[in-house]
Amino acid sequence: MVHPAEDNLSHTQLSSNVFEDLLESIIVDVASECHRIARLGLERNLEEEEEELRLSALARAGVADSGNSSEANNKYVVDIFGQTHPPVANELFDCMNCGRSVAAGRFAPHLEKCMGKGRKARLKATRSSTAAQGRQTRGSSANMNRLSNGVPGAAGDEFTNGTFEESSR
Amino acid sequence: MSTPNWLYANPKPCSHLSDYKLRHGLSGYTKLNTCLRASPSGRLSVRIEQEEVMRCGFGLESSGCGERRRLLMCLVCGSLMCSNHSVLHVQAQSGHGVTVDVERSELYCSLCCDQVYDPEFDRVLMCKHVGVKPRNGARNGGVETGKMRFCKRRRLGLDLGLSRSEKQLGFVKDLRAKSCFPFGLRGLNNLGNTCFMNSVLQALLHAPPLRNYFLGDRHNREKCRKISLEKLCLPCDVDAIFTAVYSGDRTPYSPAQFLYSWWQHSSNLATYEQQDAHEFFISMLDLIHEKETKESCDLSKDSGECTCVAHGAFSGLLRSDVTCATCGFTSTTYDPCVDISLDLDTVRRTSTNKSAKSNEGGSTSTLSGCLDLFTKPEKLGSDQKLYCQSCDGMRESLKQMSIRRLPAVLCLHIKRFEHSHIRKMSRKVDRHVQFPFSLDMSPYLSSSIVRNRFGNRIYAFEGDEAEVSTEYDVFAVVNHSGMLESGHYVTYLRLRSQWYKCDDAWVTEVDERVVRASQCYLVYYVQRAFHHAASEDLGCLPMSPHRDTFQPIAGCC
Repeated sequence: MVHPAEDNLSHTQLSSNVFEDLLESIIVDVASECHRIARLGLERNLEEEEEELRLSALARAGVADSGNSSEANNKYVVDIFGQTHPPVANELFDCMNCGRSVAAGRFAPHLEKCMGKGRKARLKATRSSTAAQGRQTRGSSANMNRLSNGVPGAAGDEFTNGTFEESSR
Repeated sequence: MSTPNWLYANPKPCSHLSDYKLRHGLSGYTKLNTCLRASPSGRLSVRIEQEEVMRCGFGLESSGCGERRRLLMCLVCGSLMCSNHSVLHVQAQSGHGVTVDVERSELYCSLCCDQVYDPEFDRVLMCKHVGVKPRNGARNGGVETGKMRFCKRRRLGLDLGLSRSEKQLGFVKDLRAKSCFPFGLRGLNNLGNTCFMNSVLQALLHAPPLRNYFLGDRHNREKCRKISLEKLCLPCDVDAIFTAVYSGDRTPYSPAQFLYSWWQHSSNLATYEQQDAHEFFISMLDLIHEKETKESCDLSKDSGECTCVAHGAFSGLLRSDVTCATCGFTSTTYDPCVDISLDLDTVRRTSTNKSAKSNEGGSTSTLSGCLDLFTKPEKLGSDQKLYCQSCDGMRESLKQMSIRRLPAVLCLHIKRFEHSHIRKMSRKVDRHVQFPFSLDMSPYLSSSIVRNRFGNRIYAFEGDEAEVSTEYDVFAVVNHSGMLESGHYVTYLRLRSQWYKCDDAWVTEVDERVVRASQCYLVYYVQRAFHHAASEDLGCLPMSPHRDTFQPIAGCC
C-alpha cells in the first residue's frame, strides 16, 4: 500500500528513499547503543587501552632504532649472575635409562636412542610409504597450530625438518 | 529481581520521566509489552498490526504526516509520531512527553530530546525475552531465570597456601640465596632442542598457584614414593625442579629427570625433534592432572570442578551459544578449558590512520582485537546447518563464544600458524601482536556478551557476581622467533616489576620495551589479587641496583 504522497515518485526516487531509510536506521542504531553504554557506565576503559597501545608503539619504534640485540649474540653474553655458558651445555650427569655419562646439551638425542623412541627408532619398527618423501606425521594428536623450535643439524645429529599436518583453519 | 548496582551507573531519570512514573507507574510499560515482538537477533520492536507499515499519524485526519523513519510511540495515549511531531504532541497534551522508540524499544523524552533509562522499563522488557514459558522453552535466549547460582567461592587462596611454609623460610637463611635477585630466577640448560620445554617451565615456575603449591610442599616426594603404586610421578619431578630453581643456586639447571619422566608418560611426543611449546604446556597439565586425581581419594566432585593443582590454576569455563538464524532460539553449552587459543585479528589499516600515534613500521594486531574476534558472533556457513529444536529442522545459525568462568592463571595462545589451501603449505605469521601488561577480561565474560546481545538492558544476567575479579596482570611471555620448522623459544618473566629474559641457560635483565616489542606466542596473565600477593613474597629482598643489561655482577653477595 503506497502512501498518497509517494504516488508520483519515480523508481529512482523510491529506491533512494528506501536507501536513506536504511542508512538512517543503522546510524540511529549505533547512536542509541553507544548512548546506552555510555550512560550506564558499561564502557571499556578506553584510556587504559590507548595508553597500552601508545607504550607498545613507542617500544617498537625504540627497539627498531637501537638495532636489534637479537639472539645472535646472546650465547656469548654474561648473564645477570655474572656467569658465561657454552652454546652447548656441558654439565655432565648419568643417563637414568642406561647409566652412561652424558653432556646436558646432548642428553635429548642420546635419550631418544637410548629409550628406543623417536623418529629413527620408529622408522626401523614400521616402514611406511609416507616416510619415503621425508615427510613426518606426528603421533596421534591432531596438529592445529604448531610452532617448533630447534635448529636443523644441531648437536651433530642428522636431522631433517619435520612438516606439519594440515589444519582446517 | 534486584539489579546489580555495582555494574550499572544509576542513570538519574529526567523530571519528565519521574512525573510520568508517578502518574502512570508501570501501566504504560506493561501495555507496551503486549505490542513487542522479538526478532531472531534478539531485538525487541513494536508491531501494531502484522501487515501495516507504521507511519506518523500526526496532523491530517486521514493520513497524517506519513513519515516512516524514527517513529516514537507515546506511552500515555499510544499515538505514533515522528520525532519532529512528538514535540508538537507534548506541547498540545502536557504530560505526554515520554515516548518509546518503536524500532529499538528505548525510552525517549520529547522534552529533553534525549534517550532516557529506567531499570523498571528494562526489567519489564526482559520479561518478554525470558517469557513465562518453562526454562527449556523457545525464546529462552540463554537467559537463566530463577535463583542465580553463585560460583562456589574459590578455595584457591586458602588451599594453595599463600602462607609461608617451613621450606620457604629455610631459603632466606641459606647464604647462597642471599642475593640481590628474586627467588626462582635460574637458567635451564637446553638438553638438545628442548627450549620449547624450558620456556614453558620458566612460566610455570612463576605461576603463583603452582609456585605456592610446590614450595608449600603440597606434593611431598617422600610421601608420594611410599603411597604411590607407580614409580613414575610427573608431579614429583616438577617438585624437584621447583626445589632446584628456588634453592638459591644460580648455575643453570638441567631438567633431565623431568624430560625422561615426561617422555615415559607421553610417548607420542617423545622425540628429539622440533616441538611446540603450547602442545607441551597442555601435555604437562594433563599429566599432572592424571597423577593428582589418581592418587587423591578426593570425592569433591560436587560441582564437577577439578581441584588438582593444574586445573585449579588454569581451568576456566567457556560458553558457546548457537542461535538459529530463523527463529532466534539459542542453545548453550559449556566446556572447560585450560587456555584460550586465539586467531589473529584483522590488521588495523595504519596507512589510512591519520592519528599521530599511527604505527609506521608494519602491520600490527592487538590481543584485545583477537579476544574481540574470539567472542564475535560467527555466521556458520550454509554447509554447516545445525538442527534447531524450535523450527524442527536444519537451519543456518550463528555461534558466539564467551567466558563463563575465568581461571586464576590465564594462558592466551596466539595461533601463528597459517595454512594455505592453494599452495598446500603452512607458514608462520610473524605479525606483531600488541598485548597489554594489565588486562581487563570483563568484556569477554558471558555476562557481558549475553547482556550485549539483549541490548545492555539493566538486568541481573547470569554470571553477574560481584566477587568475580576480571583484572589480570602479565607475568610471563613465551616468545617464538624464527621459522615454522626451525626457531627458538625464550621466556620473559616479570618479577617485582623487573623483566628478565630467560633464554635457556642465559638469564638477563631487559627493559619492558623489549618485551612489548617482542613477538608473543603464549602470554600468561594472573588475577590481580594473586599478583599482589606474589610480589609480597619476594619483597623481602632488595632489588638489584644495576639495571643495565649485560652488566656482569661478579660474586654476587
